[in-house]
Amino acid sequence: MKRKVLAALLSISMVASLAACGGGSKDNPKVDGSDQSADGESGGASDIDPNNPWAKWGDIDTSEHVKINYMVTGDKPSGEAAENLNKMLDKLNGILKEKVNAELEIYYIGWTDYLSNYNLTLAQMDGSVDLVGTASDWLDAWPNAKNGAFLELSEEDLKTYAPATYSSVSKEHWDLCKYDGEIYLMPEDNYAQWTNHGFTYRLDWAKEAGLTDGVKSWEDLTKYFKYVKENYPKVTLWDSDGTQFGQMAAGWVASHTKFVAIDGLSSAGLWGGTQDDLYTVVTPAYDNPEMMVEFAKLMKSWDEMGVWPTDVLNNTSSQNRDEYRVGEASVEQHHTQTWTDLCSHTDTNTIYKDNDKAESGFFYFGEETQNVVALSITHGAMAVSAASKNPERALMVYDLIRNDPECYKLFNYGIEGVSYEINDEGLRTTPKGYDSNTQNINGMTNYWWGRNDDIEIKDAQKNWEQIEKLYAEYDKIKIDYPYGQFVPNVDSIQAKIDNVNETYNNYMKQIAFGKYKGSAEDIVKEMDEALKKAGIEDVTKEIQKQFDELYKK
Amino acid sequence: MRDIEISVSEVDSPVVKRGAFQTFWKYRTLTFMCIPAIVFFFMFSYMPLPGIYVAFVKYNYRKGIFGSKFIGLQNFEFLASSGKLWSLTKNTILFNLAFILLGNLLAVFIAILLNEMKCKWFKKVSQTMMFLPYFISQVLVGVLVYNLLNYDTGFVNSALKAFGASADKLWQPYADPKVWPVLLVVIYLWQQTGYNSVVYFASIMGIDAEMIEASKVDGANAFQRIRYIILPSLKPTIVILLLFALGGIVKGNFGLFYNIVGTNPVLYESTDIIETFVYRATMTDFNFSTASAVGLYQSLVGFVIVMVVNFVIKKIEPEYSLF
Repeated sequence: MKRKVLAALLSISMVASLAACGGGSKDNPKVDGSDQSADGESGGASDIDPNNPWAKWGDIDTSEHVKINYMVTGDKPSGEAAENLNKMLDKLNGILKEKVNAELEIYYIGWTDYLSNYNLTLAQMDGSVDLVGTASDWLDAWPNAKNGAFLELSEEDLKTYAPATYSSVSKEHWDLCKYDGEIYLMPEDNYAQWTNHGFTYRLDWAKEAGLTDGVKSWEDLTKYFKYVKENYPKVTLWDSDGTQFGQMAAGWVASHTKFVAIDGLSSAGLWGGTQDDLYTVVTPAYDNPEMMVEFAKLMKSWDEMGVWPTDVLNNTSSQNRDEYRVGEASVEQHHTQTWTDLCSHTDTNTIYKDNDKAESGFFYFGEETQNVVALSITHGAMAVSAASKNPERALMVYDLIRNDPECYKLFNYGIEGVSYEINDEGLRTTPKGYDSNTQNINGMTNYWWGRNDDIEIKDAQKNWEQIEKLYAEYDKIKIDYPYGQFVPNVDSIQAKIDNVNETYNNYMKQIAFGKYKGSAEDIVKEMDEALKKAGIEDVTKEIQKQFDELYKK
Repeated sequence: MRDIEISVSEVDSPVVKRGAFQTFWKYRTLTFMCIPAIVFFFMFSYMPLPGIYVAFVKYNYRKGIFGSKFIGLQNFEFLASSGKLWSLTKNTILFNLAFILLGNLLAVFIAILLNEMKCKWFKKVSQTMMFLPYFISQVLVGVLVYNLLNYDTGFVNSALKAFGASADKLWQPYADPKVWPVLLVVIYLWQQTGYNSVVYFASIMGIDAEMIEASKVDGANAFQRIRYIILPSLKPTIVILLLFALGGIVKGNFGLFYNIVGTNPVLYESTDIIETFVYRATMTDFNFSTASAVGLYQSLVGFVIVMVVNFVIKKIEPEYSLF
């Protein structure tokens, strides 16, 4: 009898939780948008007037005032900075309320464990976020689209609710934002930036070291480090943390081959093609042991030279970039966009004030082989959460922030006269009494998902002469990212990719920081055997198969 | 108290047979008092049980657990095919064994010491001092340990240098996997012992004062008192706490290992446990199902271990077994 009661209770509990889950999943798909108000859908794309793209919004029912939550990676501002942000938001929301009867709030995903928290927040599916800043290479845009976290954006919806964005993005670019025939992302495709990695270094010191043209190769960099160590003993060569190994290994590969990595398949970017043969899958870090042995040897010598802290693998709290700004570190490993800031005479970069001769050069990975790949247009993109209760209004708000100059400037630069000013040359400067810690709106809204060069005002502080010179160099040698449409189906090989990734990271940390025991040949051989065991060749084969299906039609 | 004991034995005796409802009615007050606990366990331990199904599907946020595609044991494949299942499980179990056995031993020892202390303020102060580390977050402990032990600027090496040690005499634990089992156990004990000893201290307090007084009258010294009265009285508590702890023996202490060892592959050979491996390997693809599969594997092994140990205890000392 007791057992029966227990069994009954248990089955009730199961049914109850089943019902709860069923209810939850039924709630979500209703946010389709298209079936709610079909009023403004009569026109086609050609009807959108470039001078007044929002002419048809009058037909849309916006009688209900809604809040749109914009989810972004970044640390939430506090204190005075938060007050300044709110002042800007108040002003922006005034405009948004008038135009689309909505207001914008920012939902921050702090930098600590940002990827886990980002994915977790999306997985909650409780409607707490509407607009989602995302990226196919560093924020899991495609896995989230596949997992059902993002709303499919039909062309009708885009035409109606985001007409300016819809008409400014070309058909080819929209195609690159599709998965399984549906658009999930609105790409940042009209903004010049380079995020290929490399080392920012002191050009003046390199010249002193006899490198008159600056650092052009890994060997030059070795020479540079030796010179700095001998002549500037107080300077830390590189206060690296334990995460830099991946970019260094990828950089070595870029500098010694014509390899083009596939984004988003594995964090290490192990698989890809070559510039000469884009659609044959290769894994140079595994296929080319001689090259990796050279790398291991050079890095061992760097380790012995003291380029990074001895316990770099356990170092998690590095402030290297700030140390570089004040002349305490000799290099910073990051991408070109970061260098454009570091090489400019801004208030935070005190090296230029302290020393007239100071200059910052940039050695980009791939410089030796002229191997540079332009940024994928989905390096920054906006998506709409599938759980959003107001997807239409979210699209409208995005359309304004991206395309309406008034909203754009407010959201990106803050209030004119307080956070920025425009000088006689039409460049952006900071007004008197400006404090970059509390008034840098750009560093608080973190809007990297739809910047627009048509509206951007150039920053007067930036070293445009040097920057444009490098951009011109890139433009000469770059190739466009070739795999934009390749969204691999990894279900059958995910376990192997995870294991390969894990194996590779473990060995590469030891190799790239010169922390291995035994000879360079032995450690590379050991890594290759472990990678083979983890299934790297099976994964290569499977990707090749999917490549052939997509590109060899 | 007495009444209840008698009536319990009545129910157990084969002569008196009652229906479930009658039993329930007879003990309605007791049952009523149990309701919060019953509701709690029902809500948080039984209601989520069907969710185990997530370990067997390809989870899709919008379709939910029961709408997602069933893929059988594919989620378990990753752990099995890593080739590390055995070494990970071994590390996890050995570390936990050390934590559980040494932890409880030291906790009992400390509790007895506290009990024997005569000076009241010293007792309070030392108890508080031992208790405090428990409240320090693992993240901070990791930072503390790094600042003590790191090669370039750590406290230990700075002290060695101050005493004139040459560069080759300095200690570099972050490159030496052999020292970590000892270090981790020491750190764990430093953090947990004060807290664990409270339970034992409380059960020592609960020992019948008459017995202790009688032993004093009989002329037993402190050691005899501990050996023949306190330790035997603690036995049921020790056994139950050990049994509970054994259930989680395959579940690693992620906070401790991740914050102190971090992601330094040089040390993995002796410090990699199931949790840290799974975290590293699956963090990139954010797969709930794989994580649940690993959790299920750990729970199953834990369940088997508890059943076996309970069975053994039942054979030896039936009174101390859980069920």
